[in-house]
Amino acid sequence: MLRANLLACCLLLGLTCTVYAQQKGDLFIRNGTVLTVTNGTLPNTDILIRNGKIAAIGQHLEVPDGIEVIDATGLYVMPGIIDAHSHIAISNVNEATNPVTAEVSVGDVLNPYDIRIYRALAGGVTVSHVMHGSANVIGGQNETIKHRYGETDPDALRMEGAPRTIKFALGENPIRVHGRGHNVTPLSRMGVEFIIRDAFQKAQRYMEAWERYEQERKRNPRAVPPPYNERLEVLADILRGNILIHCHSYRADEILMLLRVLKDFGIRRVVFQHANEAFKVAPELAAFGAMVSVFADWWAYKFEVYYSTAYNAAILTRNGVITSINSDSPELNRHLYHEAAKAIKYGGLTEDEALALITINPARQLGIEDRVGSIEVGKDADLAIFSAHPLSIYAVCKKTIVDGIVRFDADRDPDDMRLRVDPERPVELAIRWGDHQHHQRCLEGVDLIAFLTQTLQSVQP
Amino acid sequence: MQLRRFFWTGLFLVALPYNVEAQQRPQQGATPDLRDVPVATRTYAITNARIVVAPGQEIPRGTVVLRNGLIEAVGPDVSVPTDAWVLEGDSLVVYAGFIDGLSHVGVPAPRRKENQEPARRRVENPGSPPPELAGLTPDRDVRTLLKADDPAIAKLRRIGFTMAHVVPRGRMLPGQGALIFLRGQTPEEMVYQGQVSLFAQLEPAQGVYPATDMAVLARFRQLYREATRRHQHATLYAANPQGLQPPAYDPVHAAFFPVLEGRLPVFFYVEEVLDIHRVLALHRQLNFPLRLAGLSGSFDALEQLKASNIPLFLTLDLPEAPRDTIRATQKLSDDSLAARHNTYLHVSSYQDVSAEIENLKARQAKERIKYYETAARMHAAGLRFGFSTRDADPDKILNNLRTMIKYGLPQEAALAALTIDAARLLGIDKAAGTIEAGKLANLVVTTGPLFEEKTRIRYVFVAGERFEIKEPARPSRRDEGEPMPARAEGTWSCTVDSPEGSIDTTLRITGQSGTLSSSAIPRELFLENLRLEADQLSFSVTTDTYGRVDARLTLRGDTAEGTIDVPGVGVLPIHCTRTSGPER
Repeated sequence: MLRANLLACCLLLGLTCTVYAQQKGDLFIRNGTVLTVTNGTLPNTDILIRNGKIAAIGQHLEVPDGIEVIDATGLYVMPGIIDAHSHIAISNVNEATNPVTAEVSVGDVLNPYDIRIYRALAGGVTVSHVMHGSANVIGGQNETIKHRYGETDPDALRMEGAPRTIKFALGENPIRVHGRGHNVTPLSRMGVEFIIRDAFQKAQRYMEAWERYEQERKRNPRAVPPPYNERLEVLADILRGNILIHCHSYRADEILMLLRVLKDFGIRRVVFQHANEAFKVAPELAAFGAMVSVFADWWAYKFEVYYSTAYNAAILTRNGVITSINSDSPELNRHLYHEAAKAIKYGGLTEDEALALITINPARQLGIEDRVGSIEVGKDADLAIFSAHPLSIYAVCKKTIVDGIVRFDADRDPDDMRLRVDPERPVELAIRWGDHQHHQRCLEGVDLIAFLTQTLQSVQP
Repeated sequence: MQLRRFFWTGLFLVALPYNVEAQQRPQQGATPDLRDVPVATRTYAITNARIVVAPGQEIPRGTVVLRNGLIEAVGPDVSVPTDAWVLEGDSLVVYAGFIDGLSHVGVPAPRRKENQEPARRRVENPGSPPPELAGLTPDRDVRTLLKADDPAIAKLRRIGFTMAHVVPRGRMLPGQGALIFLRGQTPEEMVYQGQVSLFAQLEPAQGVYPATDMAVLARFRQLYREATRRHQHATLYAANPQGLQPPAYDPVHAAFFPVLEGRLPVFFYVEEVLDIHRVLALHRQLNFPLRLAGLSGSFDALEQLKASNIPLFLTLDLPEAPRDTIRATQKLSDDSLAARHNTYLHVSSYQDVSAEIENLKARQAKERIKYYETAARMHAAGLRFGFSTRDADPDKILNNLRTMIKYGLPQEAALAALTIDAARLLGIDKAAGTIEAGKLANLVVTTGPLFEEKTRIRYVFVAGERFEIKEPARPSRRDEGEPMPARAEGTWSCTVDSPEGSIDTTLRITGQSGTLSSSAIPRELFLENLRLEADQLSFSVTTDTYGRVDARLTLRGDTAEGTIDVPGVGVLPIHCTRTSGPER
């Protein structure tokens, strides 16, 4: 409790207090309406948090001595929201110079000072899947982070033990960037498929070369290893099933294309991101075991995103596809609970099904469902406390807790929550030209000027 | 002939104590070329001076004798050789010469070529550009790039620097560094030791791979691991070529071989704290011999730096309050400004902008103080460090050192970082860093304690060569009382120091309007918000690529200096000279 208080103080003072990774807290949340997501809604329930984990859930639990108590009477407690598609808290988004850049990783350029982490906390979001952009067919590796805002060591953001994931992108974005931009394959959707198959085949040959070397080394100590290739190492890890694919996609045909390619290469796990036409191929997705992460109702920002429906999430869910709703935006991530509620209006999902879209389902898609995504004993104490039912339009997030530590508190929220400021830039220029344009989006890092002159068309994720 | 030479030497000797300029390397043209003539003496004695042998170790009244570039003797009872030029040091203090841990001194920025931009666009496949465009020139040796006439050399020397670890300019892997003396007529004379470092920075290429920090890190891993394999291959082949393919050669990977053998450290320049974390993570992954320089903002990574236990070279640059703050607060100190900060401020309305702006300025002052305190905190954390002048304005360095001391850095620690600690971390402490017999004759002679504001540096000796430091010429007062008001009219030829090299820019100002043209932008731009207040000229231009670019210049007669703020690129220095007008 003392540590939790200390941290809260540091946050309030706006100081960069050096607290280290895996900081865990103790808390007692009294008498809230607990939305467990996996085990129904529990009225007048207490939650005991010990060392960052949920230790007990029940009515009239005993309050341990000296623990910090949050009175949640009249409030709603839900699992911390998980955003399966985000570009916050990183310094780079796209390495847009090559159609395949599997070797780069946004995890190498985490930025714990990003104020957008705090803003996400203010919307009840505790975990973000921070992704490489969609400029390349095979982009960089992503990072699953916990919103431990206040820490300044980038490593403290990493969700330790979360599986590795990588970004793929189909369709117009990679074709525009590489095909039209540089006259480099892919210039068409066929080219996109070719790039993926070609990359996997190279990775297979690479694995074979190293296996041959390992064999030969046993016989011959003077054997020379084959060339080392960081990019093919990562692609080989995809083939081995060690890295989960998260693929930016829109059209049904390209979704089926990737399923065929993955089947040919024996890859079993894939999550389609955006996937506005996924509802057309829901049975095929379910049969493959593919998962889908969609927008609630966002479309028509470019040609391939016209055939869309707000029923997408509900249709997928009813077909047995594990579905989540993501933000892909440092603004939308602050009200993902509204986005989830739309699936009740459009498609008639139950409250638990709707909440699952932003909690346990994205957790499954990131391979972290045993740690987060629901309120269960033994899971990480990542919680959001709302003033009303979070699927209500009147709900306001009051407190957000990560690993048992209150990282956002609406009652203690001064104007300046930045962890650091530029010591030299005139403060009046804090908002500068260009800061809000194509920032932290799928196409950040792409030379937009060259790009826009070619297409004269607005570019979105 | 003999006679004549003798005559010159005699003249020289007579002239010496009185005319320092004559002793210094003569200018070509103005005076006869004397390089053929033997120097009068390479023996100097500084007598009866206070000698700070090493930080915390003083001879209150002693003599230092320098001969042939080395310190011959130092002590309270050293006798003065008969052939010595004697400096009576009764009121003077002698320190060891300062050592710059990393900079580009002697390596002037290349002038930007007119057609560089289109060439970059013509790269056939931006995913695999030629190494040079990718910023990969680790095989380049800075010794081939040195220019003895770089004015930066004298600028650093006049504040006491005698040696520097210099590295090439560039992007990710610009090349190999060398230790140089801050003196010499030719690059060869400047070099003390070559191939002392492999220089690296998180500096992406432009528009080609690696175009981001994350790709620079991935590229470094790829290069290092593949170099390891190639090195293994080369070692096997060298031991016995039979039955083995000959190893392929390429200069980029080969440049890593001495690093792999532990003979060459990688010097990474890290501009801010995120860079520190990123490079330390890379270091943990690959475990190469590492040195870090720059380190601005390291107050947020002290624990990690301590755990990594690597040599550090802290930048001598410190942040300065923005002009709006200076103007609005009448030069209020950062301490008093910071005291006004209210961490709990929660303005009631978005219209209450002024309260928030005032608070933001106070917050910013608090943040600046963290930078002032960084050196002290590094010292307190037990980190050993030297300094880097790379990002510092030489005219501000001594003042910045005083600021670091004011904010808690012990004076002895500051002196150690400038001298013996830098020498130790660079591996030259047997040859430099203290005033001991047998070491290089690198000395700084001052009128008083080094870090006192009124103290002046009188002489600097670099490897036994004497330089008298004169006060910078004060701007001459005009005879008729009031100075002439500054005028902005005319054509100004300007140079902008950008990360890409120098950019030529021309300003044309007539009356209340003007235009700007530059090699970096395709068309002439109109100057907006053109304003001249006293000698402060400010304007902005709207560019297609960067948006609004603000410029501020201080006019001095027909020259002007200042900065331009290019969004997304940074605040860049600009120097201008008036080439025509105003009508007088």
